[in-house]
Amino acid sequence: MRDNGDRGGLDNAVIEFEQVDKAFNGRRVLDKVSFSVSRGETLCILGRSGTGKSVTLKLMIGLLKADAGKVLVEGANMATLDEDGLVKVRRKMGFLFQSAALFDSFSLNQNLALPLQRLDRTKSPDEIKRAVAETLRQVGLENDGEKMPAALSGGMQKRAGLARALILKPEILLVDEPSSGLDRITAGEIDDLFMKVKTERHTTIVMVTHDIHGARKIADKFAVLDEGRLLAFGTPEELEGKQDNRLQQFISEC
Amino acid sequence: MLRSTFDSIGRVTLFGAKALRDAWFPPFEVEYLVTQLYEIGVGSFLLVVASGFALGVVLTLHTRSMLVQFGAAADIPVFQSLAFFNEIGPLVTGLLMAGRVGAGIGAQLANMRSTEQIDAIETLSINSFRLLVVTRVIACTAMLPLLAIVMDVAGILGGFVSEHLSSHLSWTLYLERAFDGVAPAEFIPPTLKTAVYGYFIATISCFYGYTTNEGSEGVRKAAMYSVVISSLVIILADVILVKCIFFFFPDQAI
Repeated sequence: MRDNGDRGGLDNAVIEFEQVDKAFNGRRVLDKVSFSVSRGETLCILGRSGTGKSVTLKLMIGLLKADAGKVLVEGANMATLDEDGLVKVRRKMGFLFQSAALFDSFSLNQNLALPLQRLDRTKSPDEIKRAVAETLRQVGLENDGEKMPAALSGGMQKRAGLARALILKPEILLVDEPSSGLDRITAGEIDDLFMKVKTERHTTIVMVTHDIHGARKIADKFAVLDEGRLLAFGTPEELEGKQDNRLQQFISEC
Repeated sequence: MLRSTFDSIGRVTLFGAKALRDAWFPPFEVEYLVTQLYEIGVGSFLLVVASGFALGVVLTLHTRSMLVQFGAAADIPVFQSLAFFNEIGPLVTGLLMAGRVGAGIGAQLANMRSTEQIDAIETLSINSFRLLVVTRVIACTAMLPLLAIVMDVAGILGGFVSEHLSSHLSWTLYLERAFDGVAPAEFIPPTLKTAVYGYFIATISCFYGYTTNEGSEGVRKAAMYSVVISSLVIILADVILVKCIFFFFPDQAI
């Protein structure tokens, strides 16, 4: 098990958790969790349902605030940032929600255009149109831009959500359960997209997943959460070598 | 029970005050505001016209027999116009909008909350409160007086049709009698009070939709509370606003 005080690789750390606590209605979801993610690294967070994996992602992007401890993104403490500071940090991040969270009253094109229209005012409408088409092409949805989210399958929604998360070319990509509800083949296609993002853009990726097969394919490191505590942190090889039955159970059964 | 009621009143008041304050400061979500103006105004137009026309017909049918008995048949048009300008137009418009717009806003925002669309807006560095709440509050406040005028016109038209079928009164004579002696103070303040209704409808509906976190049960509650509480508040506010109008325009109270 990783020592909570040890945060190796901090020099290049993009995201740091320092002794983070988070509780809901008196139930502690995260208990003194510490780890760091280096630039360009892919971290997969594993663990049973309800162990604070999605909460960890929401703390990283400032949708939730830690009760105690620090969540630092590129050195900025997410709990103390004002609205402008939060906007600046979030501008570098993309988030793919478990449900994709596409805006259901907007077409796919509009879903992707919205962040560009709002956050990249240097782009003309034609440039935005081209950027949307190019991003949709990258995720294999080039012929579906006019469709509404309700008209898309689960896998297509995930890919569309990924396209929206990527359109601003984020340095950090947070991904919540990309393969949930998808068949093995579609989940594999989504994993391939992440591999592409990782190798072509060198994006830092933090992914919450139950899919150990996908995680092994993409992850540089694993973080295993159990009952709110960080059970283990390290490369897949390091964790596989540990003689911890509970940990091995997680890695093989997640 | 009493404590939670006062707690809710306090939270809705602060929520509405924040929307009112934010409406004056950039960024102004013009494009989204226009969409809301269209949705609330144009989307409600036929409902208001049909309701106003039907009420106009029915009101004339009821009052005609009474006024004819007292030899005051010539006063039917002015009775009709005063009834619509002072009370029926503003109040019925408010109640209709509490149903149509309030339920719509409550359900839509609650659904957006439960499907993480509001979180997704935040992760894109867009202020979801300004985008979703402030625009709806402005649109609803601005459109209610216009819809009340539409209701008044439809009501007078319905009254004319009913009267014309009974007495073959001409349109020009009906209009002349309808506006005979009607002062601006009998039309403008009651129409403007619907802006307050619009503010209440949007604030209450946005509050219940935006702050819910209970999945489909939250959507149900948000839609229900939006309609019930908006309607109740409109009726209670009507009493206070009529008193205020009488205070500032004492001639109307005679």
